[in-house]
Amino acid sequence: MSYQPKKILFDPIVDNNPVILQVLGICSALAVTSKLSTTITMCIALTVVTACSNAAISLVRNHTPSSIRIIVQMTIISSLVIVTDQFIKAYAFSISKDLSVFVGLIITNCIVMGRAEAYAMKHPPFPSFLDGLGNGLGYSALLMAIGVFRELFGSGSLFGYPILPLDRDGGWYVPNGLLLLPPSAFFLIGMIIWVVRSWKPAQVEQPEYKIYHAPRPEVAS
Amino acid sequence: MKRYFDRLRPLFAKGGQYEKYYPVFEMVDGFFYSSSETTHHAPHVRDGIDLKRLMVYVVVALIPCILWSWFNTGYQANLALAKMGVAKTGWRYDLLTALHIGFDAGSILANTVHGFLYFLPIYLTTLIVGGIWETIFSTVRQKEINEGFLVTSMLFTLTLPPNMPLWMVAIGITFGVVLGKEIFGGTGKNFLNPALTGRAFLFFAYPAEISGDRVWVAVDGYSGATALSLGKVGGVEEIIRGGMTWWNAFIGLIPGSMGETSTLACLLGAAFLIYTRVASWRIIVGCFLGMVGASLLFNVIGSETNPMVAMPWYWHLVVGGFAFATVFMATDPVSAAMTSAGRWVFGLLIGAMTVLIRVANPAFPEGVMLVILFANVFAPLIDFAIIQLNIRRRLRRHVRA
Amino acid sequence: MSAPESDSAVSAAPVESASRTLLVTLVLCLVCSVMVAAAAVLLRPIQDTNKKADLIGNVIAVSGLLKEGLTEEQALKRIDARMIELATGNEVTGVDPDTFNIVKAGKDPEISTELTRREDVAQIRREPRYLPVYRIVSANGEFKKLILPVYGYGLWSTMYGFLALEEDLRTVQGLRFYQHAETPGLGGEVDNPKWRAQWTGKVLFDEKWKVQVEITKMAIDSSSPEAQHQVDALAGATITSRGVENLLKFWLSDKGYGPYLSRLRHERS
Repeated sequence: MSYQPKKILFDPIVDNNPVILQVLGICSALAVTSKLSTTITMCIALTVVTACSNAAISLVRNHTPSSIRIIVQMTIISSLVIVTDQFIKAYAFSISKDLSVFVGLIITNCIVMGRAEAYAMKHPPFPSFLDGLGNGLGYSALLMAIGVFRELFGSGSLFGYPILPLDRDGGWYVPNGLLLLPPSAFFLIGMIIWVVRSWKPAQVEQPEYKIYHAPRPEVAS
Repeated sequence: MKRYFDRLRPLFAKGGQYEKYYPVFEMVDGFFYSSSETTHHAPHVRDGIDLKRLMVYVVVALIPCILWSWFNTGYQANLALAKMGVAKTGWRYDLLTALHIGFDAGSILANTVHGFLYFLPIYLTTLIVGGIWETIFSTVRQKEINEGFLVTSMLFTLTLPPNMPLWMVAIGITFGVVLGKEIFGGTGKNFLNPALTGRAFLFFAYPAEISGDRVWVAVDGYSGATALSLGKVGGVEEIIRGGMTWWNAFIGLIPGSMGETSTLACLLGAAFLIYTRVASWRIIVGCFLGMVGASLLFNVIGSETNPMVAMPWYWHLVVGGFAFATVFMATDPVSAAMTSAGRWVFGLLIGAMTVLIRVANPAFPEGVMLVILFANVFAPLIDFAIIQLNIRRRLRRHVRA
Repeated sequence: MSAPESDSAVSAAPVESASRTLLVTLVLCLVCSVMVAAAAVLLRPIQDTNKKADLIGNVIAVSGLLKEGLTEEQALKRIDARMIELATGNEVTGVDPDTFNIVKAGKDPEISTELTRREDVAQIRREPRYLPVYRIVSANGEFKKLILPVYGYGLWSTMYGFLALEEDLRTVQGLRFYQHAETPGLGGEVDNPKWRAQWTGKVLFDEKWKVQVEITKMAIDSSSPEAQHQVDALAGATITSRGVENLLKFWLSDKGYGPYLSRLRHERS
């Protein structure tokens, strides 16, 4: 395997996006994307945690007995998450109130665990760090896209600054309430997956079964 | 005209100039004339019923509801106008005055025309926007444009309040058609009812325009609560205090979504659909029994604080959109359960859960829309369970024999 | 794999042995706990300041002091926070109003009492025995406004907010909710500045100091004497509107701030 830092870093953003292709990390994507400020905080937190945990786990990978490796990974990840959470509470208090438990729930985010087990346990620290960074950025790219859409059309603003004047303040834009509810992120993720897979058919999964087409005569329609 | 189409045909056929647009041609041609393609060899299906005919039957069954929606929308609006005595402005008023029809709530003609003027813009918007999406997807996928869409647009229109802004109607039908149907492969492959999907989208996206008590009567600023939201406040007594009687509600002289108010019109439609075997009677009866069972259960349990608990089943039947949704939405052959036993389960589930939401959920006075979507999602599971049970039963019989 | 694999070669015990496992666990736990503890301890003071500023920020927002042209710093000096005992209306000492957690206090059986169903108009189940109130004073220390924390159940959630009363203790200066989870677009409109603006100038008590407030769906006739007690309901949000009305009725009654308010009235007359 040749060592290509660029590929490790940028592959997970489009070609191998953890959310779009592997459909991981959906839970937090639903919960934090109704406002862009919370979205970006969550993205940074997750990227930092994934990158650092990948690097740390990779550092100790050769000293970790395989019988306790999952618990070792969990301990490292959760410590990093708690530290991150404390920092957010200290330096971005109002955002941390909106994020409530979701920073803490990064511990259970499949992307972090998945990268730790799939990549960091087998690769040296620096590539692992890049891999974590790349996957974090891939997650961030998708979340930011959803966040922009939801906040712009759900509240008519971006980062809290009004962009579309709302009808209730005398403007013309009637905000779409569905976009403020978590299920809308589901629809958006689905549509993004649809678009990306139409664009890059290589990402389409093999069908689990084939529909049998009975040979039929030309029936009048 | 027939000759005109035949002359055009080669242009759209394989290799022709407009090959890509064959589906569009097919639709226009097929709409006016029966298809030029006929069965060439055996077996011939004896019954001439096909999807097109099926959908025409549904539209026929909808006629009482449609006519009633025109009349009642106009009737409610005229009543409100008379009560408020405000200045009448807007194109509808200009037109009605110009035609010397007036705003007399006692005149059937005045009511019907007035209501029609509310129905028509919404219906046209639905038809045009939905039609455009249908055409785009059919053209890209090289499939024939399906008439199922005509039914969807009609149903969707009838579930909306009369004063819905048209751009919202357009977004709603877009969501319903694209995410409710096309994304899964088009007509016949959708597991959700597209009309209800569109309405549910509007319900959550723009709740102020499709819930509450200011939207059901087509006069700005007039507050006319639906029977269900009155019932939420004080049960049946409150509904009667609001000036409604059971017969009123049965015939449909109450505020509500355009097509859902008249239980009578829905029953006429149901009779036609069952007679022509387009709709499954098992689903309709299942819904009804489920609703009766659940409301009787709540009646027995009783409650001091929630007046909806005491609402008897015959009121549940006539208020809200229960009758309309049961007859026309739950029976959608694509998204309902397919097996006979499964249809019973499907119907019972819808009936019972509708009452549950009406009684127990403080936010939604009406639950039948959400319940049908919910049951749509469960329909394949219900069918699967029924089929597995059948297989097991037959296996056992086989062993014994 | 291109990276050198020398690490495991130098270690004494084989990676999979029991002693090795214990050692790794021990070292890992030590490192992690030091990290977590350090972060928690070092950042605690900043977090506490944040929490305080957050609560007081809401008080400042509802007080209308910023509209009078004061900066937040200056506004902070005008706020005189006291703890009161609800049942008697007496001020109490020993509890710091700045760090008092209203949400927690309402659930803690130690410092709250259970309400009977009849009493529980605001649907909050338990009522704290003590609550902070905020007096707004003028530059030379005269009493100007009173800000009371209020809360109650709407449609989906308990809505927490502050009610600001004018000097006469019956006119509303402002009502503002800082925490709720009502439906966006319907009940969520309690945050709508236009709706909030309606409250300013409304009168919550009648001549005999009986609570008089109504959130109505009917059009308000501004010429009638009732209009000063009436506020438009939120469109399409009957239950949230009723929740707001109920919570005001509850907190202004004798069960809520009634004793304190009457004490204050006597003091000032």
